[in-house]
Amino acid sequence: MRPEWLDVSPWLDLARRADRGMAMQAAVASDPGIREFAILLSPAAGAELETLAARAQALTRRHFGQTIGLYAPLYLSNYCPTQCAYCGFASGRRIQRHRLSAAELEAECAALKRLGLEEVLLLTGDRLATAGYEFVRDAVACAASRFHNVTAEVFAMTESEYAGLAAAGCTAVTLYQETYDPARYALLHESGPKADYGCRLDAPARALEGGMRSVGLGVLLGLSEPLEDVLRLFRHASRLRRRFWGGGVAISFPRIRPQSGDYAADFPLSQRQLAQIVFAFRIAMPDVPLVLSTRESPRFRDGIAGVGISKMSVASRTTVGGYAENTAPSSPQFEIDDHRGVEEFCATLRAKRLQPVFKNWDAVYRTPCLTSSAST
Amino acid sequence: MDDGLRLGDRAFGSRLLLGTGKFSSIETMLAAVRASGAELVTVALRRFNRERSDDDICGPLASMPGITLVPNTSGAMNAREAVRAAVLGREITGSPFVKLEIHPNPHHLMPDPIETYNAAVTLVKEAFFVLPYMPADPVLARRLEDAGCAAVMPLGSAIGSGQGLATLSMLQVIIRDACVPVIVDAGLRSPSEAAAVMEMGGDAVLVNSAIAAAENPTLMADAFAAAVKAGRQARFAGLMPRSEAAVATSPLTAFLAGGGS
Repeated sequence: MRPEWLDVSPWLDLARRADRGMAMQAAVASDPGIREFAILLSPAAGAELETLAARAQALTRRHFGQTIGLYAPLYLSNYCPTQCAYCGFASGRRIQRHRLSAAELEAECAALKRLGLEEVLLLTGDRLATAGYEFVRDAVACAASRFHNVTAEVFAMTESEYAGLAAAGCTAVTLYQETYDPARYALLHESGPKADYGCRLDAPARALEGGMRSVGLGVLLGLSEPLEDVLRLFRHASRLRRRFWGGGVAISFPRIRPQSGDYAADFPLSQRQLAQIVFAFRIAMPDVPLVLSTRESPRFRDGIAGVGISKMSVASRTTVGGYAENTAPSSPQFEIDDHRGVEEFCATLRAKRLQPVFKNWDAVYRTPCLTSSAST
Repeated sequence: MDDGLRLGDRAFGSRLLLGTGKFSSIETMLAAVRASGAELVTVALRRFNRERSDDDICGPLASMPGITLVPNTSGAMNAREAVRAAVLGREITGSPFVKLEIHPNPHHLMPDPIETYNAAVTLVKEAFFVLPYMPADPVLARRLEDAGCAAVMPLGSAIGSGQGLATLSMLQVIIRDACVPVIVDAGLRSPSEAAAVMEMGGDAVLVNSAIAAAENPTLMADAFAAAVKAGRQARFAGLMPRSEAAVATSPLTAFLAGGGS
């Protein structure tokens, strides 16, 4: 059932056995591909992290300037029919559940606007009758009336549903495969709609087909053997870029922290390994936005901002409700490690000579024509 | 010697245009604009932020004396979106100029020639002075000129690539044949490349990344200004003809003089 393009065996050996010379060449390759990417993931490349970091920083500057794009997540609901072993919202967990009412969503949006944010990422649990497509679409429409840029990290949808989201004002969809290893995937997602590996794998393509401007991909680092997962992620991103020449792809790096929560990662990943994966992506895909959340520590985030990473979340709450004063926060999906507010984080970025960018999109690109005479 | 750069019904003393994205701070960007002596600066509509002043690149530039804003349509993926963005940009800034920029691929940011042409036709009718960012294609340049664009802006190489004048031979044809100003945009890395554009007869250059990503953006802006001026002067001074073959001090064909048979 696994498509042929997810076979990364030709590159695994390189990723395990490349030598220092190959790593140094891959770091400065003029036209890097999956071969160079595999080499950059090798232990030999890991011993040259400073070289990789310097190259990653130079490429980030070239393509994104001395800027970091900012966004914040907004959880719409934590009801969930799926039992994902690692998730704080999993169906089997006895937690406080909540679904935002229309009035609460308005209040949450208003609170985020007061923080100055212009890009919001809407999230939910897996598909439910009470928190399904219409619920998400209406939330998108509400957020789009307030924010210039609205993106969604929600359950896998059909192409026509994605088209509906796009029409409601959604510009991008984030959808992590979590792990590309079908056996691990089946083990970690025992029940619920998300248990369908193939449906999820094809969802980013359906989103682009349905009119999304870009898709965000990722693996939840710690769930599976990271080398194979990351190579497959690279293949997935490359494949989407080739198929949808007008579509964008972004990559995120969520990591199950070894010391947080009650789910212990079977394949724990160190900060050094995470940094190496970020640098490898930046060098091999210089023009792709690379995204980091507040799961990581302030020290790590400050260090890697602009050194590969070009976009970050800030002031995040992973509870349903939590920005507005009057919405009672529920249990969080996962623990965050960077609790700094917008102004504190921005001051740190500025001290690093990085400009925090709140608005990098304009609603004019999705609203009806301003003057009828100007239409083509 | 130099009557300035004529665009639409305006004339500008500086032939260096600045892009304003990618800087490490708005203050750094403003200092670079000042040092460059640029009178025309492009501002991306997507970076206009009227709700948060420390994130807004438009306001501080609009209040700078001697600066004419050129809103750009970056972010637009097709002609329809670009036209909307241009109209909104004009409403906000009052500027008659628009840098028409349509790149459907968000990664390599190459301009779409078909959508750019279609949008240019509409915007000219709407009385904009249209400055289209375009592939270095001599035929497209003439088509955009015929459509009524105030200038053409062919790329030297991909945006932000720093690969300089990768399209040199096409730029030479565009400059030779153009009846409107040719502003070489994108890909320039060093002041010497800007000077080279001016020496070969280009009318102006637009620079962003090379200045924004420099260690000292203000100094680099000054350096680009000097290079543009030097290149323009050299153009007027008349470059010594280049000769591939050495010229012998004593003519090698002297033995043919006198007409032996």
